[in-house]
Amino acid sequence: MGVQASVNAQFIKPAQNRQRDWLPYMLALPIIIYEGIFILIPIIQQFGSSFTSDIIGFGAAKGVGLANYERMLNDKFFWNSLRVTLGFMAATVIVAVGAGVLAAVLMNQRFRGRSIARAVMTLPWAFPDLPTVLVFYWILNPSFGIANVFIRFFMPWLTENPKWLLDINLAMPLVVAIASWKAFPFYGLVTLSVMQSIPQELYEAAKVDGANTRQAFRYITLPALLPIIMLSGILACIFAFRQFVLIFLATGGGPGRVTETLVISLYKTAFRSFDFSYGATIGVSGFVVVFVITLLFVYLQHRQEAEAAR
Amino acid sequence: MSNQQAIATTASSPGILLLRWIRRIPLYVLVLLFCIITAFPIYWMVVSVIQPVEYSLNYPPPLYPLAVDLSPFREIFQAENNLGRIDYWIGNSIVLSSMTTLICLFLTVLGAYALAGKRWRGQGLFGLLLLMTQMLPEALIVIPLYATLDKLNLKNNLFVLALVDTAFILPICIWILKNVFDTIPNEMRDAAMVDGCTRMGVLWRIMLPISTPGLVAVGVVAFFHAWNEYLFAASLISNKEIYTAPVGLAAMISMVDTPIDRLMAGGLLFSIFPLIFYLLVQRYVVAGLTAGAVKG
Repeated sequence: MGVQASVNAQFIKPAQNRQRDWLPYMLALPIIIYEGIFILIPIIQQFGSSFTSDIIGFGAAKGVGLANYERMLNDKFFWNSLRVTLGFMAATVIVAVGAGVLAAVLMNQRFRGRSIARAVMTLPWAFPDLPTVLVFYWILNPSFGIANVFIRFFMPWLTENPKWLLDINLAMPLVVAIASWKAFPFYGLVTLSVMQSIPQELYEAAKVDGANTRQAFRYITLPALLPIIMLSGILACIFAFRQFVLIFLATGGGPGRVTETLVISLYKTAFRSFDFSYGATIGVSGFVVVFVITLLFVYLQHRQEAEAAR
Repeated sequence: MSNQQAIATTASSPGILLLRWIRRIPLYVLVLLFCIITAFPIYWMVVSVIQPVEYSLNYPPPLYPLAVDLSPFREIFQAENNLGRIDYWIGNSIVLSSMTTLICLFLTVLGAYALAGKRWRGQGLFGLLLLMTQMLPEALIVIPLYATLDKLNLKNNLFVLALVDTAFILPICIWILKNVFDTIPNEMRDAAMVDGCTRMGVLWRIMLPISTPGLVAVGVVAFFHAWNEYLFAASLISNKEIYTAPVGLAAMISMVDTPIDRLMAGGLLFSIFPLIFYLLVQRYVVAGLTAGAVKG
């Protein structure tokens, strides 16, 4: 079929050169306009307003040049939010992708009840954000939460319940755990679909050559999974970077800003302190981060496609 | 040969079988552990709803429901609840999500058809635009969007919110449908063209009817994107009358005196639809989010 298609393409090509085919452009145009209005124009506005001073209740916006950027670079809370973001990203990528890959390896084994186990492991992915926060909030309630029962069982020497999301040392690990709980099934599903596409003959050939299970995993499964693990890692970075709801509703960035990521800090600057232009400036710094990650993503994709084509 | 025979005979002896079972115990333990960690929060939500609230407020709370009381589901529909009514919020969410789905389906069909045919000049750029949109965190443009819509007096408008939500979910939907279109053999389209179909006719008469499952997947993804979306809903909707369910539930979390069983009942009601539908279309969505994005 592939050969047929390419023959067709060659056959039609000369006609195409004479007259440009306008249909795809007509089809794409509405989408380009749509995304232009709702995405590109706001991005440009964001850049524009980062050079102004626009605080609600302080009159019209006026140009201030680079003052916002100067303020940002000297703002220890900005640097804190960048640190928190990177920490959150690194931790969720490792935990969520790691747990996802482990889940995929488990689910790829043959055992009784596998289909049920698979369905159960997919649940958090389909579970919406709001109820996720709701139930973890309740589980981690310092007075009534079931988490207290568990922690007292494993650490009987505790004299009082932990403050959980209100504890300055526990807040970040807990937010990472909640975000990973929600995210890992996705990476598990992705990895599993790749694992199932590895030809069974490879394993049989390895067995004939005398490889044990561990060696088969090390030399067949792992190399096949490495590209998708890396891609998952980058996707996880992006998803962690844009994570707003879980963190905002679980801790609000607190206690003492230990979970205040860049997007939380931006939101609070704009909608709590009503400093729109400074919020926009933080947003611009966010574009830089996203742009770098996206470039990395495109680069990896291309490399993998090139490898796949070889 | 004799060696193989020996393996075959020993494998069936009870001792080896037992050994094999013992060897598999770690696997079962790990699977069980994973399943418990994954399912427990959802299980706990159900328990907190169906057992009378006194049990939930005991310390330590029982691990399984000692009695069943379904009244929270009734209570969240009663008007005396001055916090706002979850059924209204869910109604608003249904309106919002339906609008998002319709707008998104229309644009997705166009975009996917543009990407599914022969390559055209600028296609790579179009793909990059979609990828950038897909990668962009919503929070980064919430400020300018809010400012503009505020100026134009378009806040507190569910239709506008649906337009905004569509902008963010559209790229993923296009990848999903493009993947489905790609599985339709070229011969089929060519045959229809030979029979005198225009290319829009091919889309309408051939591509769309065959891709019904893909369209359903796109619809589900778009619907539940708007269903879950909190950031824009929270910043663009301030009128309690048209709160969507996430905004309403979030408002309930921040109020200290909300009874926990009702809160959980609202959350559970809110989660049931996405749980069912997402699991149905799971394989399309996973393929669209990865393989689709890979082919830029």
